[in-house]
Amino acid sequence: MGQQLFTFGAAFLGSAVESVEALTIVLAVGLTRGWRAPLYGTVAALVSLAVLVVVFGQLIVERVPESTLKLVIGTLLLLFGLRWLHKAVLRSAGVVAMHDEEHAYRQTVSQLEGAAARHDWLGFVIALKGVFLEGIEVVFIVVAVGGTSKYFPEAVAGGILAMLVVAAIGVVVRKPLARVPENTLKYAVGIILTSLGTFWAAEGMGASWPFDFVSIFFLVAAYLAASQLAVQLVRRPAVA
Amino acid sequence: MRFLKSAAAQVIGLFVADWVQTAVILVIVATAWYSISGLRAAPLPVLIGLVVLLAAQHIWFALAEARRDARPRPLPSPSPR
Repeated sequence: MGQQLFTFGAAFLGSAVESVEALTIVLAVGLTRGWRAPLYGTVAALVSLAVLVVVFGQLIVERVPESTLKLVIGTLLLLFGLRWLHKAVLRSAGVVAMHDEEHAYRQTVSQLEGAAARHDWLGFVIALKGVFLEGIEVVFIVVAVGGTSKYFPEAVAGGILAMLVVAAIGVVVRKPLARVPENTLKYAVGIILTSLGTFWAAEGMGASWPFDFVSIFFLVAAYLAASQLAVQLVRRPAVA
Repeated sequence: MRFLKSAAAQVIGLFVADWVQTAVILVIVATAWYSISGLRAAPLPVLIGLVVLLAAQHIWFALAEARRDARPRPLPSPSPR
């Protein structure tokens, strides 16, 4: 039960962060040029992503031996999680500016305002590209978290629920979700994915962790301590 | 074509921000794998070493990037008018 919840939670949080970024792009296109084209673009991207999840998810779960799967996906998850954690540490320490959804929104709007109104496909392509590229990260998180842990349906449910929640909030507020503490979420997800990656990569090597799944919480504590130490060592006044 | 290129760049970018750091992480993981599978070393010390080394490289590369970022950049040379 604990592992199921952990898998669901990791997929949900990771997918929510990426969905917020995709939502910003769709909102910018929809509020500037009308909703039809970006909605078609979003649907096309979601269908492509669903195909990726089904194809890769089934292929990975059914065809690849468990130990190889754990080693490869665990290592990829480790690289993925450490990349997020690295960025989150630099943002927390003030070295890199925080990700700003308002800024991303304004940038997309200004990009669209320069284009002639007759090119309705532009809204379609920008929404398709934005949702697809952000969605690739969601697909990886769902496949990696679910494929290695026997809880693929829970991971898929976490990813879908995150997208639905973010989309519903977007429909209600109709502006970028600038108040979502994206860096904190990315920091937390980075630690969780790095811990899961370490856990599975080691199991793929043939090692068994003491206390089995519970040791993930020790890994979380270790990476949290290391990243906090990194923030303290790097810290400098916040970037404006 | 541009869309495919940016999708490919995005996929690589999921795992690689700094090629040196990626290589270091892969070497750490490969060493742990060889110690357990090849040398039949006791797993627990290897697991502890794996986590300590991964945490240490994380701190090291964060500090290295912060130092690179803090280094004053040379002013651009004045352009001829």
